[in-house]
Amino acid sequence: MQWLYLYFPSLQLDSLLHQQAYNQACVLVHKNEVVQTNPEARQLGIKIGTGLAQAALLCAQLKVIAYESKQEQRLLAQLAQRLYQTSATLYLDPPQGLLLQTSDMLRLYKGLAPYWQQLQQPLMERGLHYHYASAHSPLAAQVLARAGNDRLLTNQDEATRLLSQLPIHRAGLDHKLSLQLERLGLNTLGQAQALPRSALGQRLGQTLVTFLQQLETSSAPSWPAYQPPERFRQRLELLYEIEHSTALRFPLKRLLSDLEAFLAPRQLRAAGLSLGLEYQEHASERLHIGCSDGEYRAESWLALSMLRLEQLKLQAPIIAVSLKTKGQMPWAPLSAQLFEPPGGKLTAGQLISRLQSKLGDHAVQQVYLQDDHRPERSFYQGLPQSHYQSQQATRALRPSLLFTLPQALNHKPDHRWCILSGPERIQSGWWDNVSICRDYFIARNPIGQVCWLFRTPREEWFLHGYFS
Amino acid sequence: MVLLQLEKERLVWRARQVAGPDHRRQSSFYPTLDAHLQGGWPHSGLVELACGPAGIGELRLLLPLLAQAQSRLQVWINPPAELNGQALAQHGIDLSQTLLIRCQNPQQALWSAEQSLNSGCFSHLIMWALRLTAPQAKRLQVSAKDNQALMFWLHSQAEPSTSALPVSARLSLAPVATGLRLQIYKYQGLWPQHPCQVDMHELWPSLATPGHSSPHHVPVLMNNIVALPSKLW
Repeated sequence: MQWLYLYFPSLQLDSLLHQQAYNQACVLVHKNEVVQTNPEARQLGIKIGTGLAQAALLCAQLKVIAYESKQEQRLLAQLAQRLYQTSATLYLDPPQGLLLQTSDMLRLYKGLAPYWQQLQQPLMERGLHYHYASAHSPLAAQVLARAGNDRLLTNQDEATRLLSQLPIHRAGLDHKLSLQLERLGLNTLGQAQALPRSALGQRLGQTLVTFLQQLETSSAPSWPAYQPPERFRQRLELLYEIEHSTALRFPLKRLLSDLEAFLAPRQLRAAGLSLGLEYQEHASERLHIGCSDGEYRAESWLALSMLRLEQLKLQAPIIAVSLKTKGQMPWAPLSAQLFEPPGGKLTAGQLISRLQSKLGDHAVQQVYLQDDHRPERSFYQGLPQSHYQSQQATRALRPSLLFTLPQALNHKPDHRWCILSGPERIQSGWWDNVSICRDYFIARNPIGQVCWLFRTPREEWFLHGYFS
Repeated sequence: MVLLQLEKERLVWRARQVAGPDHRRQSSFYPTLDAHLQGGWPHSGLVELACGPAGIGELRLLLPLLAQAQSRLQVWINPPAELNGQALAQHGIDLSQTLLIRCQNPQQALWSAEQSLNSGCFSHLIMWALRLTAPQAKRLQVSAKDNQALMFWLHSQAEPSTSALPVSARLSLAPVATGLRLQIYKYQGLWPQHPCQVDMHELWPSLATPGHSSPHHVPVLMNNIVALPSKLW
């Protein structure tokens, strides 16, 4: 079996800096020690392992960001998710490595070079620095990649030769062990490999023997291969704090294009997105953006989200954005009507989602009927649903415009009013304590409005609607 | 050269560039109105209806049309009161094809009207709005024409707005005993017309004023209303 190892020495830093062109020295710091640097910082002489104080002395305008191993693991998983489109079997090697099994993929891509080209593309898009190496065993590929080999080897002999020339201190052994080996006068890995294993084991411990053995075994690693998640979930940490909701467009665009890359190959669409905004020194906020028809395209989701965000007032600067899907469903044909004359640009569902994002969920409604004799309860307004069975309407004549609250009439209708029909007594609702007892009349008032009036037992008159 | 310049700036029109008025009509299902308007409502475009006070029969004028044309959705924007689903369903309107939009300000109402028209999923729009400016009316008119939708703009003034608005038709409604009296101020493809009476008596017999059109109808007097029980239960 052939293996390819990708090593990302500055994964978190690269992902942060990729958001914006940033051409000043920037480092990630963990426990007062520099762990990741950008090229500008390296030029100034800041190395990995440099103390924070020394780094600050070397560059006054140094941007210092805290290293977060959790975030880096998340980034690695995101990257694996993307590379999974190209390569079937891959293993995460946190915090900064990915191991890919290449032998199965070579037939598909017709050779190592086209395959490698496919793999490189997403790495370039993300602006990542990486080292790579291919070899006959997972560990050999890892050691070569971490040593910065950057070559694709198909030949086992050549890999073995390169390994044997590798200085001991760059083989990835722990510091104490490599020091011990160097004291024995073993300066390259090849020298250690040449010695009898049992003697090495007795002297320097079992770890070294296992290490040397694994350099030669080409079987898959012991931990399970990467399985892509069922649902999309991603978090993006921002290099700068965002204070205006419209400026969220750019980070959001990136998240949404990842979403599209997640949904499209699976032939899925998302019914809704949950957008998490993490504030500085404030509880984070979640926004729900719905699309009743489901959608997978980044462009459509961006338009919907921006409609929603335009109305949002940020409580505090935003430091990170996260995105997850709410409800995924398979693709369905966009239009059922083949012979519908005018080509609609949007489906009804898409339009409803767009309106809801701008106006709020409850601004767009549909009217539903209900079995109740009380006029104000004989129908209700709810969120639009695409399929429902409409009920039978009442036979009695009802006004098309109805007031939610009946309006009291100041005067009893006099001779200038013309009663057209009535009374119709509605006495109902004793079972739920909203009982009514009303005599309804249809009457035309002096200015010609056809009104729906009722009279209560206390001889009070109310206007309840218009036969508009 | 001057002519070209003028043409470019759309100050001069060639006769062949101007599309003739759209003579396609959709029936209003009121025979007198159809005859008067040479076939009914415009096929698409924006129609201004100056209704005066709500409740004189302005929706009754439109309901037969809406009940017949349901291949696409219909939308109601900012009705002055709740839309009674029972009444709409009674007149044959499919509620699953009907959307109701409530906006907090006029800008949002116009935005949703334009979005709805441009989506191409609506055949009819009914919007209540106080006033439209000429550019707003033009945008709605163009959107409606492009997407083959008919939009009714209802407002509560008794007289239509100034004549400068680029709409397909501008009418004012006034109540009469049997229905409505329509004054036609502008109607694309028609010369100015006399007012027209729409008789709603046949479709809504119980809403016509007794004595005028239905002699057999016995007027109910206020005084012989059956008394309600003075006490409940």
